[in-house]
Amino acid sequence: MTASKAAIAALQGALAAENAAVYGYGVVGAYLSGAAQLAATSDWKLHQDARDTLQAMLTKLGATPEPASAAYDLPFAVSGTASARRLAATIEEGVTRAYLAVVAVTDPTLRTFGALAMQQSAQRAATWSGTTTAFPGLVL
Amino acid sequence: MACLEPMLRRRQLLAASATTIPIFLALTACAGHPDPLDGPPPLSADVRGLLDAVTAESNLILVYNETLSRYSALAPALNPLLAEHRSHLDRLRGRIIEPPGKSVNTGATVRPRVPGSERSAVTQLLSAERSAGSAQLRRLGTAAPDLAQLYASIAASESTHAEVLARLA
Repeated sequence: MTASKAAIAALQGALAAENAAVYGYGVVGAYLSGAAQLAATSDWKLHQDARDTLQAMLTKLGATPEPASAAYDLPFAVSGTASARRLAATIEEGVTRAYLAVVAVTDPTLRTFGALAMQQSAQRAATWSGTTTAFPGLVL
Repeated sequence: MACLEPMLRRRQLLAASATTIPIFLALTACAGHPDPLDGPPPLSADVRGLLDAVTAESNLILVYNETLSRYSALAPALNPLLAEHRSHLDRLRGRIIEPPGKSVNTGATVRPRVPGSERSAVTQLLSAERSAGSAQLRRLGTAAPDLAQLYASIAASESTHAEVLARLA
């Protein structure tokens, strides 16, 4: 199976975002409790599943999935519930932007895959931030 | 009649005067080029998709407006979503290049009937959001990459609206 370099690069970008999300939710969960922590754990697992899916897709396309980093810089300091929720929303916004790049490839199946993944991450971002946005993923 | 285009060298083209260039353009109508005297060319798939998207967004806004005019208590929940739909419409309309002096008809095409209960009205909006999001995904296939990204982003926004409405219903 052949795939364009652009498609592989976009999928590698989405994989990098998912790897970062898996790391980030570990931090998020550590500062939450009760239902919020359960929600963070659920989202953490969803990102692990998405990571596995992307790795399988890249392998099937003949590419080597980029490994996760050992650690990631957080975009801001997390010190409690509010900043943990803000970090979760920020993670999801980053994931949405990464899948937006997948939508730009020429393969219609990959486009739909990217668009559906954007919906999932946009919904999680809205849940964590408590607000919706007009253009998830787009840098205006 | 043979086409002039292959015969003309770039240097000759650059040297052509303002009066000869239109003639040249008319002569190039053969060999697959559209004849400018045949009227406007058919709309491209991208433009047709864009016009559909604008009409769908106008329809959605009309459903929101009609719902709000009947159930004003829903305003705090619905107004932010409606504002985002207006942003979608502005952004989509901004991608349409209208000929000078002419405006493309992109108004709403539905006459929504607002249900008799607030809950049913919210359910109707929920259904409309989901349908609109699905339609955006169907436009992705052959759209130009930046347009596909705009459709995908709007579909993602509409999916978050559906979540809000599902909690409200």
